[in-house]
Amino acid sequence: MKNKEENKRMRNASNPQSEEEPLINEKPPLALLQKQHQRQLASASDSESDSDYEDFSEAGDSGQSLSESEASESGSSGDEGIANSDDNGLDDDHGQEDQSNSSELQQGVEESDSSEDEVAPRNTIGEVPLEWYKDEAHIGYDLAGKKIKKKERQDKLDSFLASADDSKNWLKIYDEYNDEEVEVTRKELRLVRRLLKGKAPHADFDPYAPYVDWFKWDDAKHPLSNAPEPKRRFIPSKWESKKVVKLVRAIRMGLIKFDKPKEEKRFYPLWGDDSSSTEKANHLAYIPAPKPKLPGHEESYNPSLEYIPTQEEINSYQLMYDEDRPKFIPRRYMSLRSIPAYDNGVKDIFERCLDLYLCPRVRKKRINIDPESLKPKLPSRKDLKPYPITCYLEYKGHQDAVMSISIEASGQWVASGSLDGTVRIWEVETGRCLRVWEIGEAVKCVAWNPLHELPILAVSAGQDVLLLNTGFGDEEEQKKIKEILHVETSKTPDDSGNKVPIVSWLQDDKHEGIRLRHFKTVSSVEWHRKGDYLSTVMPAGESRAVLIHQLSKKHTQRIPFKLHGLPVSAVFHPTRSIFFISTKKNVRVYDLWQQKFIKKLETGLREVSSIAVHPGGDNVIVGSKEGKLCWFDMDLSSQPYRILKCHPKDITNVAFHRSYPLFASCSDDCTAYVFHGMVYSDLNQNPLVVPLEILRGHTSSNGRGVMDCKFHPRQPWLFTAGADSVIKLYCH
Amino acid sequence: MVKHYRPPGKKKEGNAARYITRSQAVKHLQVTLPLFRRLCILKGVFPREPKKKVKGNHHTYYHVKDVAFLQHEPLLEIFRDKRAYEKKIKKAESKKNPDLANRLRTRIPTYTLDRIIRERYPKFVDALRDLDDCLTMVHLFAALPALEREKLEVDRIHNCRRLSHEWQAYISRVHKLRKVFISVKGIYYQAEVEGQKVTWLTPHALQQVLPEDDVDFNVMLTFLEVYETLLTFANYHLYHSINVKYPPILDPRLEALASDLYALSRYIDANSRTSVVDPQAPTMSGSEQVETQNKGTQPDESDLRLAQLQYQLPLNEPGALMRLAEDVAGEDEEDEDTRECKKLFKSLKFFLSREVPRESLLFVIPAFGGVVSWEGEGAPFKEADQSITHQIVDRPSQGHKFLSREYVQPQWVYDCVNARIILPTENYLVGRVPPPHLSPFVDNEAEGYVPEYAETIKRLQAATRNEVLPLPGVGKEDLEDPQKLLVEGVIDRAEANEAAERKRKMTLEQNRYLDELKMEVDGLQSSSTGPNNKQTSKEMEAREESEPDIQRIAQDHANMSKVVMSRNKRKLYEAMEIGKKRKQANVNLLKERKKKMEAGQKFES
Repeated sequence: MKNKEENKRMRNASNPQSEEEPLINEKPPLALLQKQHQRQLASASDSESDSDYEDFSEAGDSGQSLSESEASESGSSGDEGIANSDDNGLDDDHGQEDQSNSSELQQGVEESDSSEDEVAPRNTIGEVPLEWYKDEAHIGYDLAGKKIKKKERQDKLDSFLASADDSKNWLKIYDEYNDEEVEVTRKELRLVRRLLKGKAPHADFDPYAPYVDWFKWDDAKHPLSNAPEPKRRFIPSKWESKKVVKLVRAIRMGLIKFDKPKEEKRFYPLWGDDSSSTEKANHLAYIPAPKPKLPGHEESYNPSLEYIPTQEEINSYQLMYDEDRPKFIPRRYMSLRSIPAYDNGVKDIFERCLDLYLCPRVRKKRINIDPESLKPKLPSRKDLKPYPITCYLEYKGHQDAVMSISIEASGQWVASGSLDGTVRIWEVETGRCLRVWEIGEAVKCVAWNPLHELPILAVSAGQDVLLLNTGFGDEEEQKKIKEILHVETSKTPDDSGNKVPIVSWLQDDKHEGIRLRHFKTVSSVEWHRKGDYLSTVMPAGESRAVLIHQLSKKHTQRIPFKLHGLPVSAVFHPTRSIFFISTKKNVRVYDLWQQKFIKKLETGLREVSSIAVHPGGDNVIVGSKEGKLCWFDMDLSSQPYRILKCHPKDITNVAFHRSYPLFASCSDDCTAYVFHGMVYSDLNQNPLVVPLEILRGHTSSNGRGVMDCKFHPRQPWLFTAGADSVIKLYCH
Repeated sequence: MVKHYRPPGKKKEGNAARYITRSQAVKHLQVTLPLFRRLCILKGVFPREPKKKVKGNHHTYYHVKDVAFLQHEPLLEIFRDKRAYEKKIKKAESKKNPDLANRLRTRIPTYTLDRIIRERYPKFVDALRDLDDCLTMVHLFAALPALEREKLEVDRIHNCRRLSHEWQAYISRVHKLRKVFISVKGIYYQAEVEGQKVTWLTPHALQQVLPEDDVDFNVMLTFLEVYETLLTFANYHLYHSINVKYPPILDPRLEALASDLYALSRYIDANSRTSVVDPQAPTMSGSEQVETQNKGTQPDESDLRLAQLQYQLPLNEPGALMRLAEDVAGEDEEDEDTRECKKLFKSLKFFLSREVPRESLLFVIPAFGGVVSWEGEGAPFKEADQSITHQIVDRPSQGHKFLSREYVQPQWVYDCVNARIILPTENYLVGRVPPPHLSPFVDNEAEGYVPEYAETIKRLQAATRNEVLPLPGVGKEDLEDPQKLLVEGVIDRAEANEAAERKRKMTLEQNRYLDELKMEVDGLQSSSTGPNNKQTSKEMEAREESEPDIQRIAQDHANMSKVVMSRNKRKLYEAMEIGKKRKQANVNLLKERKKKMEAGQKFES
């Protein structure tokens, strides 16, 4: 009895559930729709007469199908059989549903108004992905196994136009499976709407119908159970109370913590009154991150046209190195609406984040000055006049590079020695070549005797040093010179008898002079200021590399000091008995009188090429093969007071002017620099060095430029000897 | 002995003692590397560059004090707690106890960053100085979609959106916006708050491109955590400085319509008005706000009191006093710039079509004193309103047009803002290609190249400045005809060029004259000798040859002063020269392109 009741109840409850079933089923919504529709039809046919029911033929069709389906599945569920008489409509559609479950493809056919209704599914391919037929001409097979051809596809425009014309278009749904267009009827529409709202599809179905209890309780003679009510129903549970006590205790002891209500974020004036917060952060100084660069014109969405690179330029970016390649290529968008989304927006900010927490920060002094302000303030060059400015004369006649020049003490004559083996004497003012000696060997160095009354010219050529009588001066002087240059000839063989001299003094008949024969090539010759001594340098001469010859005694001696390194040149002090020997790295200063080493000047240069001493004697300039010029102040230190990097190529020679505060350097880059080098008598004041002029004019030959430069003894004129076999005179 | 030998017992000194590598720091703090990074981000600790890298060049170095600073951070303890707590949850889960796990999850230890913000920025100005990145980030996240895979929660996105709107509402309200620039990357804004220039970038209102793998959102979210807190408190401070309660309570209707900004500005307006009308009423804000009615609006309380004393009698009615206070505030607070900005769109009424970037324009136009409405619900006035002067439109053509208003493209607004004048609208009308949009952040003179349109704007600015009372006929014509102005400019420049040319010729003449004089003197000196004359004539020829290369002489001069410089200075100078040259090359490139373009145009016509 009870069982039956329950059964009924279950059935009642299961009805709506079974109606919901297709929702869960994995069927296309269209199928569902159609099914609902059929159900509606069925119910309409027996209970309700719908006013807006349009399609009678369809109703008839579905009626047929209904009866058929019912027949096919009678007794499939026993439960239903019981209630069959009660609610026919419901049961009907239940059966219908089951049927559609079993052969789920029927609906499409049923729906269509054509005559092929009975042929249940049009397409029989089953539940396979429709993509498989995408490229085929057919959509599947009918029951007979024939191919169902695809309908001709309307092109989009046509379909759009059709849809625009057809006011009912929105009711049409394309059924992909059967390749058909299906129109939704009003009823179906209503069904869909109800379903969308989450209601039961039937309008008349009431899910909350009052429960009718068919069991009459009051009539029963006997209760279901006759047992007396147990005691436990009346007394409180012991175990529950124990549990409660336990919990209470746990709460009191704080073992159980309650969830705190979730705290809202509190806001308060964090900085309060700014003025009071003078507390200093107790950690290190915070270095704020540099702000990102602000965008320039080129980043605009609509930049000026000139900011947009041409296509060629963009292509040329491909050839650049990665780091040189511009990261951003400007583009122009004609209006605000056409700006696309920026691809790297998130990435840029992420990179900024990385910079912020991964990059070491250093405070760097950024020099924001005008580069011109770095230049030292030099006195105006006009105030430092006179100095040689322009080429005034050229002395031409040598066949090969002029290696050396020397100006006679009076400043009237210039002697020059060249690689073509000649020594020439020129008149300064006119450029006339006065005399030529054919030495026969390449002349390395020429030097006039500094005494005016002793116009002797020392010429170094190969291993020899020749002392030539130039023939200037009045007769008395000539006589004296001849005497000086003559006497030695007879003596030398005597001297050579007892010991092997370093240098042999020979009489040179051809040139009417003395030939000093060295054992190695002589590179330079230098006179002492008194005109009696002269020093020669043989770079390969080892311990006897630097020699001092005395003209009056025809005597030669080597300097009594140990040489460190290869000597390059040697110079006498202009006033005192001090001797400078420059080796490749350093300059050593010796006192010849006391035979004592005085000082070592550390040039710090790679290779010294020349040296010159200021007429005051306290300042020395050293030129090097790396194009640097060092100014040493002997009083200050052994380090250079000033290093001037003026020439890009080797400095070949440097020279001081004897009376004007001028000095010059000449180099293989075919230029000569003229400097103002003022030495003050006040010891507190450092020398003033100002570059004045760059003299050009020589041309390069064999990679060599200007070989020598010398100042005129009285005028601020500069003579330069070029490798292009020209001697030039620069005047103020 | 090893060079760096340190005898036992002797402490480390110098860089070895002051800096430790990252791995050392991690070990020292007993944290994992990700946690260390997180801490660094939260605390604002960054690596340093020691002069001498004791452990080698490929390490990252942190200052010992920075590490100690991290070590004493209470957050470190909280993070450890969290980690332990995570283990509890994991355990509960692996024991199949989802109830416990869920309950535990509700109680994960939380933390706030207020203290850290306060520590990092002891003063509000410090915070403002660092607000650039913060704003950019918050604005970016406000535009991002919530992403589950990247742990981007909806709440945070909403919070970012709210914060950004609050900030914009403030800036707009106090008219502190100075420059706006639409770039390809987004829209740059520059505001000046309490003397600090704050620049930020907002992405365009489009779907953001999310990079797949090269962005670590964890890092960004950690930054965002700090930034959210920072901006919240900054907003709080700023809102209270204009006597508005924070957090704002918005009109839910407007909020639902997604016109937050408008809702906010309405709120601010309403709030500040109420506080102006009845300042003594402590009902709405409570004691807290009374406390923080700070010096922003009422710059000098003593002044106020003095004024009160003077106006003893009318003090009975609070309105009078407040008006007074307002006046004082108005005069003192607003600098020249703000006043100028406030007035720019004063008499104009804007209407935004639906295709223009509404958010940006709703922010910008009120910031410069304009009244604005838009198409859609909740708008203050409709399109049909006759008093609208400008309609902002961004479409190829406008169908129906009201004659009483001008239809301009949005760029017009931004260009006006940057130029601080009302530009003629001709070039910006619907359907035209607008003139180039120039960056307001570039100093054209320093850059060495002034784009054409910048010059036009400059002229227009000058024109408006001169004509305080513009004559209706002439002034307007002048204003509206940039072409004419341009032509004038060209003529001016040509004249200047001519003058320069003349001057050069003069100097040449002078030089020649001097040379001749000199030659004469020379000639006199050595007139007796024959060859010398020839020589001089030859020399003269040489001179003539060398005359054109004035450049060489200039170069010589430069060389000569370089010779005397010390090595350091020379290197520096050379580096500067290189920089200058690069800049010049850029400018030359621009000029070249311009010339080519002009030539092309001429050729076409």
